[in-house]
Amino acid sequence: MPEVARLPLPMPQARRTWSRALRLPPGGIAGYVLAAIIALLVLPPLFVLVRTSLTEVTAGMGQGAFTLQNYVLLVTSRNLGTMVFNSVAFAACATIVSLLFGGLLAWLVERTDVPLKGLAYLTTIISLGTPYILYVSAWLFLFGRAGPFNDLYRMYVDPSVTLINVNSLGGMIAIEGFLWSPLVFLMLSSAFRAANAEMEEAARVAGASILETVWKVSLRLAMPAILALALFVFIRNLEAFEVPALVGMPGRVDVLTTEIYRSVKSMPPQLGYASAFSVVMLALVAVLLFFYGRLSKRAERFASITGKGYRPRPFRLGRARIPAACIIVFNFVVVLGLPLAAVVWMALMPFVRPMRWAALPFASLKNFTSVVSSPYYFGLGVNTLLVAAGTATAAMLLTVGGGWIAARRRAGGTLIDQLVTMPLVFPGLVLGVALLEIALQLPIPIYGTLWLIGLAFLIRYMPYGMRYTYTGVLQIHPELEQAAGVAGATTFETLRRIVGPLLWPAIASGWLFIFLIAAKEMSLPLLLAGPNSQTVAVAMFDLWSNGQGGEVSALGLLWAALMTIFASALYVILRRQSAATFGD
Amino acid sequence: MLTVENLSKVYASTEGPSGGVRGADFALAPGTFFTLLGPSGCGKTTTLRCVAGLEQPDEGLIRVGAETFFDAGRHINVPLNRRQIGMVFQSYAIWPHMTVFENVAFPLRVAKDRRYGREEIATMVNGALETVSLGGFGSRPATRLSGGQQQRVALARAIVARPKLLLLDEPLSNLDATLREEMRNELRALQQQIGVTTVYVTHDQTEALEMSDLIAVMDAGRIVQLGPPREIYFHPRNTFVARFVGSSNWLSGTMTEVGADGHGRMQLGDGRSIGCRVADGRTGLPRAATIAVRPEAVALARPGPAPASGINRLDGTVLSTGFLGTSSRYRIDLGGPVFEAHGSADDNYGVGENVSVEFPAAAAMALED
Repeated sequence: MPEVARLPLPMPQARRTWSRALRLPPGGIAGYVLAAIIALLVLPPLFVLVRTSLTEVTAGMGQGAFTLQNYVLLVTSRNLGTMVFNSVAFAACATIVSLLFGGLLAWLVERTDVPLKGLAYLTTIISLGTPYILYVSAWLFLFGRAGPFNDLYRMYVDPSVTLINVNSLGGMIAIEGFLWSPLVFLMLSSAFRAANAEMEEAARVAGASILETVWKVSLRLAMPAILALALFVFIRNLEAFEVPALVGMPGRVDVLTTEIYRSVKSMPPQLGYASAFSVVMLALVAVLLFFYGRLSKRAERFASITGKGYRPRPFRLGRARIPAACIIVFNFVVVLGLPLAAVVWMALMPFVRPMRWAALPFASLKNFTSVVSSPYYFGLGVNTLLVAAGTATAAMLLTVGGGWIAARRRAGGTLIDQLVTMPLVFPGLVLGVALLEIALQLPIPIYGTLWLIGLAFLIRYMPYGMRYTYTGVLQIHPELEQAAGVAGATTFETLRRIVGPLLWPAIASGWLFIFLIAAKEMSLPLLLAGPNSQTVAVAMFDLWSNGQGGEVSALGLLWAALMTIFASALYVILRRQSAATFGD
Repeated sequence: MLTVENLSKVYASTEGPSGGVRGADFALAPGTFFTLLGPSGCGKTTTLRCVAGLEQPDEGLIRVGAETFFDAGRHINVPLNRRQIGMVFQSYAIWPHMTVFENVAFPLRVAKDRRYGREEIATMVNGALETVSLGGFGSRPATRLSGGQQQRVALARAIVARPKLLLLDEPLSNLDATLREEMRNELRALQQQIGVTTVYVTHDQTEALEMSDLIAVMDAGRIVQLGPPREIYFHPRNTFVARFVGSSNWLSGTMTEVGADGHGRMQLGDGRSIGCRVADGRTGLPRAATIAVRPEAVALARPGPAPASGINRLDGTVLSTGFLGTSSRYRIDLGGPVFEAHGSADDNYGVGENVSVEFPAAAAMALED
């Protein structure tokens, strides 16, 4: 598409209409204004991080002299090697666990006649709305010293040995892997759903067995999508904070994110050192994201082979249906059943106890009543809902315009696209450090308020909103907009009357997605929250650290129930949207 | 009514300028059904989109009546939503979130020059729906329409505001063959009825010949011939037009004489000589030449006496035959060139049989490459 308004400026005799066209070229000025707003959000954190990492600490938060001291400290640190190794090993192994598990599940559900498909979806939906911290504490309990596994082992095998040490690299990998498998399931199931069944049928007709077809055709076609997803999950695992903090730190298994957290929270805060660490992580993630971008472009090329308006026929598993169903049940037990049982158990017990019949008489609803009746927890809930809803709204407002301008390649579109995707390089904790530094230096008293958390969320989740609106606009045939223009509508009228209504499902699901992840995000508010701007996830982290497992569980259960309602809405919209796209 | 002068729009690509339109000129009288005809990538759609205002030309002038839509020299460019034209898109572009009525009413609701009242909108929309035989479909959701019905809705939407100009971008290409033929007649009848000047883009020569008052054949961004359907068919300007519009048999050889009346003679490679009509206007003899003969101008005969003057006769053998019901189609090897000809269903020539082809010299057109 050609750029708008390429002719020179209007001459004196130029007509009224021409000058109007120049003053407001469709998407022209608006595009650059939007790009400027986004730049203002995205660039300062980057700048501040790099500057702080290169500055000496001075007594009164002033501007210190230039120094490389922080980087020297980082490189000479005894633990750097161990931490990098731990980070990479943790991220890689957890990726493999969630990919194998979630991928197998997605394939079974989408492409075979396995029974109990509903159970797999139910598991996923409920887990989408559950705060990570609740999961992590459930598994910590399950695999911990007082948990049922170690308990049973002690009871029947060897009373002096603790079988499983959950506070280890292995424990972290297992927990993180299970944490991510529902999302892997969700993402891969859409890839499998979009796969062209005719290609598989062609292989079957040519004489291939089911296994050969899956191995030589289905898997090869899905490979770019799988690889891209693997890299994405790897990046997210590298940035993960919840599991390393709750599982690793008590066992002195350190990774990069926990080291950053520790140096920010130490007295006095070592912001320069933390920033240097953050810059290193940022660079690492940026490199990985570069490869991710190239991979996912390939994945899109493969996906575009698919036809429209067909329904993939599932493979018949025959006698393998029973073992396949067992995998689905196992998924339900591991991802939902066991953690839920553990959380309910903890919520009912006045203090942490092994799961034994003998403990049952102690069960009470005391934890629930104390959560429900406390104005403190009520305030937390309101805070979290406010900041999550506000962030989702702001992010969607920005990205509806941005997504349209970028997808239609209007002036400023490429710039907007690049700026919006930039926050993807920020691990949550790193962005937290950057915003902490900004808030401390700003003359506006934003430090310790919900506004700061909202700002951080907005920067972090803008890219996700953009993905929804951008692909949403691409699905709208350009002629639908051109027809409105020819019919006499202005650009604004076209956006309001044609694009807006057609984009509505994408906007709604983007909003819900951001709302859900913002509501359970822990690492950002953990650094940024003040006494009056606590969120549910932060409070749960504090409670758990104080050993109040019962209240964490009661609060978490109630919160998860609320979030499940939102997650179901997201699921319904996504399903309906894909039905519309694939002509179901 | 519509005047286009020296219209140019070239797209930049990595391999230099490509596609687009270069220096298109035409002027249409009011009520003309004008067709831009050409293969894909010839610039016909670009031309249409420039007129609509969906593309900004690099150079040239576009005027409708007294109003200038675009003039690069005077820096005039009326935005597309102020041009008051109707357009039917290739995909129909029916908005799926609106009813049929709302789709058609849209141009009235966003009109800038005047406000339409509720009653007036209802009258005009229902009138437009009646015109395209969709009366009573107003309350239907737009998603529950067949291809042909969507096409009619798009047409109703394009004419509802009584535009000065109607633009149609390959509107029939998404319909199946029978429906396409039906819509062809209907579209033409509708255009006659409301008398709106129409620009129609297609790559289908049958559509162009049947529907148009005036055809512009385009190739590689340029208009190579502009004229009424008969002229385009019977007097193609060059080999491209002859090849693209209708089918032709081809002979090449050396032009040996050209008379003042436009008659000439061409000698084939094997020495046989045929009479032809010289339309390329070139002089200088002898020179290489190409001749096109329409299959329907070719008659088949058993070898016999020499033909009357003004009739060419070439001998050959039957290569293949095909029975079409009303006629038979033959491919005949003329000792090098292969001719296609139709014979009546009664004649029956077998493969390998000796046969002569006869065609008038006036039907043998010597053409520019």
